[in-house]
Amino acid sequence: MSEKIYVWLLRLYPSRFREAYGEDALQLFRDRAREEEGFLLRLRLWFDLLSDLALSVPREYFHVQPRLASLSAHLRPDGVPSFCVLAKESLGPGALLFGGVLSVAALVTFSVLLNHGVRHVPLSALIRPTQRSAGARSSPFDSSAPPTANNTGQETIGSKPPEQPEIAATSSRPNHGAATKPRVNTKLDATERRRVIDAATAILEKDYFDHHNAKKMAAALRAHEKNGDDDAVTDGRAFAALLTPQMREVSPDRHLTLDYSEAPLAQHPIGPTPEDLAGYRKAMKNQNCTFEGVAILPHSIGYLKLNSFPDVSLCRATAAAAMDSLNHTEAVIFDLRDNRGGEPAMVSFLAAYLFDHPEYLYNPRENTTEESWTHSPVPGNKLADKPAYVLTSSRTFSGAEQFCYDLKMLKRATLVGETTGGGAHSGVWHRIDDHFGMGIPETKAINPYSKTDWAEIGVEPDVKVKAAYALEAAKELALAQLRKK
Amino acid sequence: MPKQKLNPLPSAAFQILLALAGEDLHGYGIMRQVAEQTGGCMRLGPGTLYSSIQTLLEAKLIEETDAREDAKLGNERRRYYRLTSAGRKLARSEAERLARLLRVARSKRILRGEYV
Repeated sequence: MSEKIYVWLLRLYPSRFREAYGEDALQLFRDRAREEEGFLLRLRLWFDLLSDLALSVPREYFHVQPRLASLSAHLRPDGVPSFCVLAKESLGPGALLFGGVLSVAALVTFSVLLNHGVRHVPLSALIRPTQRSAGARSSPFDSSAPPTANNTGQETIGSKPPEQPEIAATSSRPNHGAATKPRVNTKLDATERRRVIDAATAILEKDYFDHHNAKKMAAALRAHEKNGDDDAVTDGRAFAALLTPQMREVSPDRHLTLDYSEAPLAQHPIGPTPEDLAGYRKAMKNQNCTFEGVAILPHSIGYLKLNSFPDVSLCRATAAAAMDSLNHTEAVIFDLRDNRGGEPAMVSFLAAYLFDHPEYLYNPRENTTEESWTHSPVPGNKLADKPAYVLTSSRTFSGAEQFCYDLKMLKRATLVGETTGGGAHSGVWHRIDDHFGMGIPETKAINPYSKTDWAEIGVEPDVKVKAAYALEAAKELALAQLRKK
Repeated sequence: MPKQKLNPLPSAAFQILLALAGEDLHGYGIMRQVAEQTGGCMRLGPGTLYSSIQTLLEAKLIEETDAREDAKLGNERRRYYRLTSAGRKLARSEAERLARLLRVARSKRILRGEYV
């Protein structure tokens, strides 16, 4: 009985020990059991055996490790990976089954991971820029433009004419990230194209204001890819130029763009730096807040040439002074032929002089808020009932078009000149990766006048004349109007 | 590996070397001899005994001789072990080390005694 127990206990030792000394150990047990009879001696025997077991079994297993290390080092002198079997006994069916299942599981996991890697969408593409919308209405420095110097025509209400570089420099676009090293000219492959399309469709479906169209646009992008329409394109810029019209096929939205930038795009939209703000302030001061000219023409016709709609907080006094100087005129002409837009707040500030009650001004970039209403009447103002004319050109753009459109729709001003540029929706900038990004409109304001606004088509003037003759035409119209009285 | 296991020399291994210094012995004989030379204080269990024997064999401090029967213990064939010259040398140096320790212990008056 004791021997059976000891045989069973011997199984606790590693097999190599059992094979080498199992028989000898059992023999030693038998010798001792034979010679050490009596209760106390037997007790001592078992005490010895058990304490020996407790000490030597872990030691035997522990010493497998150095053996392993020395063996593997011996087998791989040149660093060539190799397999070696350390156990001497043959593999049982259980071990073979376990090994087989493990191998199949590893193989399946690897191939699944490999496939998912292709569909991987970089996390950064799904992160919305953080510093937009808050104060966007009153700030010309919105985050809706790509934060690189080479913007591809993403005009926003806050943008400025190119011939005013000091202003443009402070507007929404430039500001490189720290990294400005040129892109290593790598060709786009199918994986890259798929990644950009996946990111673009994800952004569209998440943030485009029209969810129905967003789904259709995403489907269109995927369909084009599936049909192989994108296969020939390996250049980033050409790819962006291909995808943008693919989206616009569904919805002709000019502010929906997919852009490519040669220079790496900044990780996060960069707001204006203190230097930018200081530069903007200086430019506004030097240029009289872009109020190029204020004059009272013959027959008491007021004339105001304004080349942007500047920041109200900086230019309130200048704007108020200009309007005050025209307060006693009989008619007023706003010359916006060189006005490329600016602050909706300034649009509202100036328009307020033309009404004797608060008036709703439609702005496609913002949802309707309390700020959508003019602060009319302006105390002491006498222009609310005077005829107003707005001079336009094809360069009149964005915020200036808002001024034109709203006054035209409210039948408060006569537009004289050319059809305006047609920049309405303002896209919010979404970075996809270092070189691709999207501008997409995220809001759709209520338009009380029409289903369409001036996006793409511009604002039609009431009196169509060449921009160069618009002032003369307006003066005649004003005079004719005054003579009626 | 054996070098690591034997440096410092474990007391069980040293006792086995000492046990084999007199005559060739089989496992149980070694166990009894060790018990005898330690006054019954060290009774090597089979695990410790054969694990030490294996280590000493690998280090070529002992060697296996032809298996034979031990008349006193029946007719089972047993493996006998013999001390090699390297084993004897190691046992001697270990004994000398202990002797030096003993002299130090005596000089420090930790141990009193006339012999060694």
